[in-house]
Amino acid sequence: MTEVFIAFFLFMLMGMPVAFAIGISGMMFFMQQPTLPSTIPAQLVLTQTQSFMLLAIPLFVFAGNLLNETGITHRLMRLSSMLAGHLRAGLAQVNMVLAATLGGITSSAIADATMLGRVLGPGMLEKGYSRGFCAGVIAFSSLITTMIPPGIGLVLYGSIGEVSIGRLFAAGLVPGLLMTVLYMVAIEITARKQGYEPERTERITLKELVTTSLDCIWAFLFPVLLIVGLRFGLFTPSEAGAFAVAYAVTIGVFVYREFTWEKFVRTLEDTVVDIGMVMLLISLSAIFSYGLTWEQLPQAFAELIVGISGDPWLVMLIIVAMLLVVGMFMDSTVLILLLTAILIPIARAVGIDLVHFGIVMVLTLTIGLLTPPVGVVMFIVCSIFNCSIVEMYRDSWWLLLATLIVVLGCIFFPQIVLFVPDMIFGKQ
Amino acid sequence: ACGKTETAKTKSPKQKYVLKFNHVLSDSEPFHKGFLNWGKRVKERTNGGLEIQVFHSAQLGVEEDIIEQIRQGANIGQNTDSARLGMYVPAIAVMNAPYFVDSIDEVAKLRELATVKAWQKELEDKHGIKILSFTWVQGLRHMVTNKPIKTPDDLKGLRIRTPGVPIWQESIRSIGASPVALPFGEVYIAMEQKAIDGADLVYRNVTGAKLFEVAKYMSETNHILLINFEVISKKFFDSLPPEYQQILVEECDKAGLEASREMEKEVEPLRKQLAEKGMTIVQDVDAAAFRKAGEGAYNVLKLTEVRDQLYKEMGKK
Amino acid sequence: MRRFYQYVCAAEMHIAKWALAVLTVLVIAAAVMRSIGMPIVWAIDAATFLFAWCVFLGGDIAMRNDRLVCIDVLTCRLPKKYQHYLKIINYSIIVVFLASLIAHGVKLAYTTRLRTFQGIPDVSYTWVTIAVPLGCLLMLITAILKIRNLIQNGYENMPDGECGCPKELM
Ligand code: NA
Ligand code: NA
Repeated sequence: MTEVFIAFFLFMLMGMPVAFAIGISGMMFFMQQPTLPSTIPAQLVLTQTQSFMLLAIPLFVFAGNLLNETGITHRLMRLSSMLAGHLRAGLAQVNMVLAATLGGITSSAIADATMLGRVLGPGMLEKGYSRGFCAGVIAFSSLITTMIPPGIGLVLYGSIGEVSIGRLFAAGLVPGLLMTVLYMVAIEITARKQGYEPERTERITLKELVTTSLDCIWAFLFPVLLIVGLRFGLFTPSEAGAFAVAYAVTIGVFVYREFTWEKFVRTLEDTVVDIGMVMLLISLSAIFSYGLTWEQLPQAFAELIVGISGDPWLVMLIIVAMLLVVGMFMDSTVLILLLTAILIPIARAVGIDLVHFGIVMVLTLTIGLLTPPVGVVMFIVCSIFNCSIVEMYRDSWWLLLATLIVVLGCIFFPQIVLFVPDMIFGKQ
Repeated sequence: ACGKTETAKTKSPKQKYVLKFNHVLSDSEPFHKGFLNWGKRVKERTNGGLEIQVFHSAQLGVEEDIIEQIRQGANIGQNTDSARLGMYVPAIAVMNAPYFVDSIDEVAKLRELATVKAWQKELEDKHGIKILSFTWVQGLRHMVTNKPIKTPDDLKGLRIRTPGVPIWQESIRSIGASPVALPFGEVYIAMEQKAIDGADLVYRNVTGAKLFEVAKYMSETNHILLINFEVISKKFFDSLPPEYQQILVEECDKAGLEASREMEKEVEPLRKQLAEKGMTIVQDVDAAAFRKAGEGAYNVLKLTEVRDQLYKEMGKK
Repeated sequence: MRRFYQYVCAAEMHIAKWALAVLTVLVIAAAVMRSIGMPIVWAIDAATFLFAWCVFLGGDIAMRNDRLVCIDVLTCRLPKKYQHYLKIINYSIIVVFLASLIAHGVKLAYTTRLRTFQGIPDVSYTWVTIAVPLGCLLMLITAILKIRNLIQNGYENMPDGECGCPKELM
């Protein structure tokens, strides 16, 4: 199996698509095992697509792509500006509110970073905020979407680990909102130090606020309906994805009237490509995981970690530290795919709640999107604002601190995470 | 069939064999313990020459996939049932039909019947599947739902999870419900999210998978006495020294009987345990009505003659 | 020949996108019909069937459009010449891998013919299984065409922005 791991890293460094790097190195395991029939890889690749649970993934991707086309974004933008424009570094605060509300409909940190950077980036530079601060604001705010439901990372974790996606969604709410609030505090502190001024001087009237909020009601309703539907068993996670698709189409066609047949077909085509890219990775990684299972490596690994300590807190900290390290080099989708099945038995063995663990794991891995040397969101914002990684961290270290507080808070106060799911779904 | 001439009785055998044995049950079930016992005794008797590694919770893959792998000669084994074997030798599925046998003793007789022997040979020669043992009896299956089931009518319109093979589906259909194919591991979440209305399971499955959290009633329909089959690759079996083959089969039968008896003994305490967890055990089930309805499955799948032939050979009814 | 391939690509996109649309409708229909007490038992099975086809055809489309995720920290720092050769090497390895998956996928499609699809009588699992070799065949063609283009164009003409990989969804 050592050769297989070496081959995997070598292929990845050679710039081979990760899906193939994983599949081909996994295939090498089968070549070392003369007793294993060579048809197994083909079978494993197929079986991944035959799971009722994994059906949730393409449907949520489809729904996310549709929601981006329906005209919700610029309405949320107007509302966010009303809510936060009077604060110091007003545009940065607007960005945080927008990220949180947008998080209720989108599911991808990378997509959000790109979108927020384009929408608010030029304005922030114009206001004279430093490039590093702008980059940091956009980058950290994009983490919020992975926690506020829906989030594709939680769907992946839940589907692979057979953990209730409804509970995971509900569990992400508080950490997501907590992040938003702490980020706003961090911006306020930075703004005072740097002397950034508010966007507007006067507050908005109640009437303005009400009309704009009503216009955005469909966006707010979406995550709520999703959790309620899952809670009352109106639909399964896969069906929730399909329901999200229907919701997006309905709002786009009947409420905002901006959604056309051409847009639908285009979204369908974009989604096919996205599904191809994600599911090919999931499918081919099954070849690799089979080798791990065959050699009983996850058990060995679990015994090793549990052997260090049976204390849930310590085990969680070890895992988080490890995730932060691997997250520096690889990005979250691949890591969730590879590690969920390995880490869940460990969490179960030491008695960590799997929903709690999922939130911590996905949150930690998402931070990897911002850490050098390989961090996609970091690359995106640094290229948008034309700044260096050092500049970004120098000017936004209060935001980094806020992130750490949220992660540590989630680890040591499970109630932050479990309070909402326990309230909605009942205690487990 | 193997090229080794030296005796296998030496202290440390020259060639070591490993069998990877997969099953879909959780590691808390008696069968898992049974498989571990089987492995332990085989290892002892072969001086470590044949090792069995047991993978619980379908870690190596879903049952249907594993059987395909077995057919192609992998050193893999699987705990399965006659329903799935029926995809290869259709008549064998009769053992999974409603109300086919009633006790472990009846199951023990099956192996010696001429017809059953012919089936085993066909599985080996035509499909590469070797049955090691079928003394593994999981017990009588009942309905786990959120409403009491007393007559076949109570099952009307309910989506009941079954494994994805025709005999299961027909059996469930014949006693009134709509079958839904779903892996066992997905039952809890599907129940929780109401994707299905219930499942047909033995007592132990309900505690093992914590289904009392998502279902209120356990109705004792007794509709299937689930016989499990331990199958491995014929090619791998033939590659073993003859004495290993014998040990493997003997110990499998022995461990199976033990595990089956233990499961039988467990039913009473499990009943109590589930009642304490808040489940209602429904025992006043209209057995005659269910038995009559069950006939439908034999008719649809044209298994009536096969059943009558087996009954004749074993002197039943 | 080129005409024919363009036709195949168009058909591939059509099948994949309508498979996605139909599977979405099926999943919604299953949920709705269940809640009104008239479950469509085969809907989810049919949806996973379409899913398999959507995945393997979509995989090829993503590959053709260079949308597969990869890690480019190291490769992007190399001189263009080495980038060029690395790409050819990568695609060549992928070709061998896909060829082996096709061969074994075909074999598997044959051996699973007795297995029924999710317990629906008379529907063989083979119909799902052939999605693998067929999808891999399309990807194999894509990989070979990529190699041909790389060799024909040479590294001198490689545009500057060519080295970056696409990013993931999360
Ligand atoms: Na989100
Ligand atoms: Na990183």
